[in-house]
Amino acid sequence: MGRVLELRDLSVAVGGRVVVKRANIVLEEGSTLFLLGPNGSGKSTLLRAIIGYPGLEVLSGSVVFEDEDVTNKPMEYRVSKGLALAHQIPPKLSGVRVRQLLEALCRKTGCDPFEVASYLEIKHLLDREFGKGFSGGELKRAEIALLLAQKPRLPLIDEPDSGVDVDSIEIIARAIERLVKETPYRAAIIVTHSALISKYIKPTATCIMISGEVKTCSSPELLSEVFEHGFRKLVREH
Amino acid sequence: MGLESWLESIRERAKSALNKPAKYGVDIDVTEYLKPVSGEPRLDTARTSEVGVDLSAKAYYTQVDQLYFNYLSKIPGIEVKRIEDFIEESPDEARNYVWRLIDPAMDKYTAIAALRGVGGYFIRVKENTRVEDPVMTCLFMSIGGLQAPHNIAVVEKGAEVTIYTGCTIAPESLGLHVGITEYYVEEGATLRYVMVHSWNRVSHVRPRTAVWVKPGGKYVSYYVNIGRVKTLQTYPVVYLERDAYSYVASILLGLEDSILDVGGAAYLLGENATVEIASRALGRDSSRIVTRARITGRSGRGHIDCRGLLLSDKAVIETIPELSAESPNTTLTHEASIGRIAEDEINYLVSRGFTREEAIGIIIRGFISLDVKGLPERVKKHIETVEKITAERAL
Repeated sequence: MGRVLELRDLSVAVGGRVVVKRANIVLEEGSTLFLLGPNGSGKSTLLRAIIGYPGLEVLSGSVVFEDEDVTNKPMEYRVSKGLALAHQIPPKLSGVRVRQLLEALCRKTGCDPFEVASYLEIKHLLDREFGKGFSGGELKRAEIALLLAQKPRLPLIDEPDSGVDVDSIEIIARAIERLVKETPYRAAIIVTHSALISKYIKPTATCIMISGEVKTCSSPELLSEVFEHGFRKLVREH
Repeated sequence: MGLESWLESIRERAKSALNKPAKYGVDIDVTEYLKPVSGEPRLDTARTSEVGVDLSAKAYYTQVDQLYFNYLSKIPGIEVKRIEDFIEESPDEARNYVWRLIDPAMDKYTAIAALRGVGGYFIRVKENTRVEDPVMTCLFMSIGGLQAPHNIAVVEKGAEVTIYTGCTIAPESLGLHVGITEYYVEEGATLRYVMVHSWNRVSHVRPRTAVWVKPGGKYVSYYVNIGRVKTLQTYPVVYLERDAYSYVASILLGLEDSILDVGGAAYLLGENATVEIASRALGRDSSRIVTRARITGRSGRGHIDCRGLLLSDKAVIETIPELSAESPNTTLTHEASIGRIAEDEINYLVSRGFTREEAIGIIIRGFISLDVKGLPERVKKHIETVEKITAERAL
């Protein structure tokens, strides 16, 4: 099994405040990693640091993707290398239609925008402005549709199950499974604080993050312990 | 009053305003445009196709400078002729339409148009004639000087039409364009008017437009300026009677040192009259753009939506929405904003797989994309092309 991504002692600050503290994570080929933790624990910042999102300051450590240290590379470069981030709350884009984005991405990657829209059940949103007046489930389905069209080598998916109705979770989970299968490494990192998506997608590894620290990384069984004991108690035990 | 004395009275009135500056915009010396310009008029089809003009349309009017005119209508129920022919053939009717909504003494530009203007179209869409094909009009300046056509359209009861106008100029021609446009939309009729401008860095443009919409009529206007221009000032006015509706949209791209002052006014005269005035201004380089919108309501509803996007540290955008309610039966609202492209939107699109330049292009295209309902498919395609060109030039 090859190593797809490695975070080595990564510390990240946002606006002068340290949000991620010396994080160490290794993602192997074939791994679906669930990054769990309560709200505000630094999970989203960690994903953003992996993709090199502007506005973050890497204080120390490194991000290694496909054996290349990309820590000092801009987001545009990392995305061109195959990293992609599905946002927890994507911005509303005035005047930009869903169809326009899907078509533009599919022109780059060679997918069928209509097929992708059908798969995520967002055909009715194609001529709507992206994000405007969407329900929580529609917004997430549209976001995952764009991710699918983007055909990343490693998807980073932030809270695919928050603020989403049950039917949408099922559709989103099905699309993420397809996405993972279509990636060369069959790998993904999924951030979730509720872990609702675990009903449909089984992780191969689970990490817990609390107060900016990756406290523990373990086997998928850790997930059931989270449900049983909650984050803090579990971390104390570990 | 006979035809000649009526025309003379217009000229006399115009003479009194030859030195009268316009209410808005940069004041320019028009006297140099009173001199005749020599040269052979030549239609540059590459330039006209850039502004979306389809010269193979079934009904069209083409004018080059003030010297060449070509027009035809193969669409039953639509009449297209040169304004001088209309006045000569139907002088009594002409008096009902020509210089009725616009005063030749409004300012020096209407004055020069009344005194020296040549050409322009008369379009009549006969009662209940509804056509999908747009009537294509093209005003091209090749040798420069003055081009001041007088355009009239009468859309009779229950008729429906789209007039598409492309106005452009040869790259280095020194020109003043003053298009006088008076449109009459009768009861239950619909007029959609699309105008695309692409001038050059030395041209001055002063269109004067007024539209009267009778009960139940609809007037939808989409104006876009996609090229460089030295100065541009226009302030179309729409009068709406009972149950009449109007949507007036302007897309303005300010390039280099262009000075644009574009606005519009609507008068809600009758019960349930409705108007929406929308503008999108893109300020690049050291351009200056003023967008104005004024709604005066005696009844009905009106809304102004003005947005500006600054794409350079040296560009300036100013927006002036004005509302005036003259009765409690009127509801008027406005929203206005000016800013730069939101960095989080660019970052989002970059994270989605677009380059930074592509992301900015997508956002600009979205910014200028206004949903103009009811346009024929062919015109929509033209507008999509124009939006694409505008976004590319804004980058």
